[in-house]
Amino acid sequence: MRSLLRQSPELFILSGLIILVYAAIAIFWNVPGTEILSPTKMWLIIILSFLFSTFIAIIAVIAGIGGGVLFTPVMLAFTSIDTLLIRATGLVVAMFSGLISTGPFMRKGLADVKIVFFCSVPIVVGAMAGAFAAIYLSNVMGATGDAIVRLALGLVLVFIAMMFILGGSKTEYPKPKKIDSFSKKMQLYSAYWEESLGKVVKFHATHGLLGGFLFFAVGFTGGFFGLGGGWAVVPVLNLLMAVPLKVAAASSGVLLAMGNAAAIWPYITKGSLLPLLAVPWMLGQVVGGILGAIILVKIKAGFVRKVLIVILFLTSFKLIARGLEGLFGINIPVF
Amino acid sequence: MTEKPKPPLSALIYGEIVYWGTLAGCIISLIGTFITFVFPKKNVLDPAYVLSSLWAGKTAKEIWIGALGSEPMGHWYLSNLTCGDALQMLGLAIGVFTIIPACFGASLALFKEGQKVYGILAFIAGMITTLSMFGLFSIK
Repeated sequence: MRSLLRQSPELFILSGLIILVYAAIAIFWNVPGTEILSPTKMWLIIILSFLFSTFIAIIAVIAGIGGGVLFTPVMLAFTSIDTLLIRATGLVVAMFSGLISTGPFMRKGLADVKIVFFCSVPIVVGAMAGAFAAIYLSNVMGATGDAIVRLALGLVLVFIAMMFILGGSKTEYPKPKKIDSFSKKMQLYSAYWEESLGKVVKFHATHGLLGGFLFFAVGFTGGFFGLGGGWAVVPVLNLLMAVPLKVAAASSGVLLAMGNAAAIWPYITKGSLLPLLAVPWMLGQVVGGILGAIILVKIKAGFVRKVLIVILFLTSFKLIARGLEGLFGINIPVF
Repeated sequence: MTEKPKPPLSALIYGEIVYWGTLAGCIISLIGTFITFVFPKKNVLDPAYVLSSLWAGKTAKEIWIGALGSEPMGHWYLSNLTCGDALQMLGLAIGVFTIIPACFGASLALFKEGQKVYGILAFIAGMITTLSMFGLFSIK
């Protein structure tokens, strides 16, 4: 606890303030109940949102995915809240753990600034192209096209998860056989202090050009389906570009925050993001994001790989189920 | 090699702006949260109405029209900064906004470090986010 306080005093100050404010709200609560919700239920919704958000932020930061991958299916399954409001709040969930973990990751050298900016532009441009394509294709192919691509995406995720399993520990600190000239020109190399090994790990990314195209594709599918790109950034960085797994996870979180920042403004200005729903989730993401960043620095890369495999499988099952539902008009009760 | 490598200035600038900006946004949102539930009349939207409507599955459009008769225009919270929900929204928006100065700050530092290509990429990322904030892109 003391070392945690030394590492991040602001985490304690913020957590203390949050506890103080939520306790004060409970004591001085002045909002009347309605036919639908009693004051106690309203307070519980706020508190449980904050606690659940903290939990998923820790997992999201360790795995380098946006928290939206966990938030959206759970909210869609267990609440009656409108899907657009869930999607908009999902962007907050996806970005704030990445935002707050940016500071610790950059200080420790775990997130690489060159990799982050190298990937950012293709992802953001791809996300916008995907969003426009979604509007066009929904008019041409309708729900069938959507179901086919969801199914295909689900199968791709199973394939990626299998590669992480078969690649074993080689994926934790990958050594590329050859560095291409583009990656050399772009100086896609760096070094960081690996706390779990007690030594410096040097790396040189490869396949930079192909990686750039794939990041455009990741952004495109994210914008097209509103999935977010977290499920794919780490595999592209790690499996294709040979970036160490922990650097890939840390850079992915930073990158997702940047990408979602461009996407979230239209929701804010159109009133599709309601602070009463979004702020408890935002606060949970910030507290969980700092905790997750501290944990990621210390844990072994193998643990990150296992968490990522589980999340990839869970996401793929959901995608495959939604795809089959759309194609055959059946209802598959998955999370 | 056992010495810990130092992160470049561009990484520190980007990381620190985003980190402290997000924390500042959280504190503003917390103040807003307190006002919202302790002084429910000091809100743009009545909190009891919003929470019940959310739970009843109403859309954002229905909630705004039901409360105010119209949907909000642009950055609605900036003209209501004495209200709890507007302060909550301001805190959230500050967190999102931090990306913009962070990208431009990192861009300058990258140019100084001789990384011109990355300086340009950071500048483009900052510009895209700025244009989105001003409503020039709509990717919904």
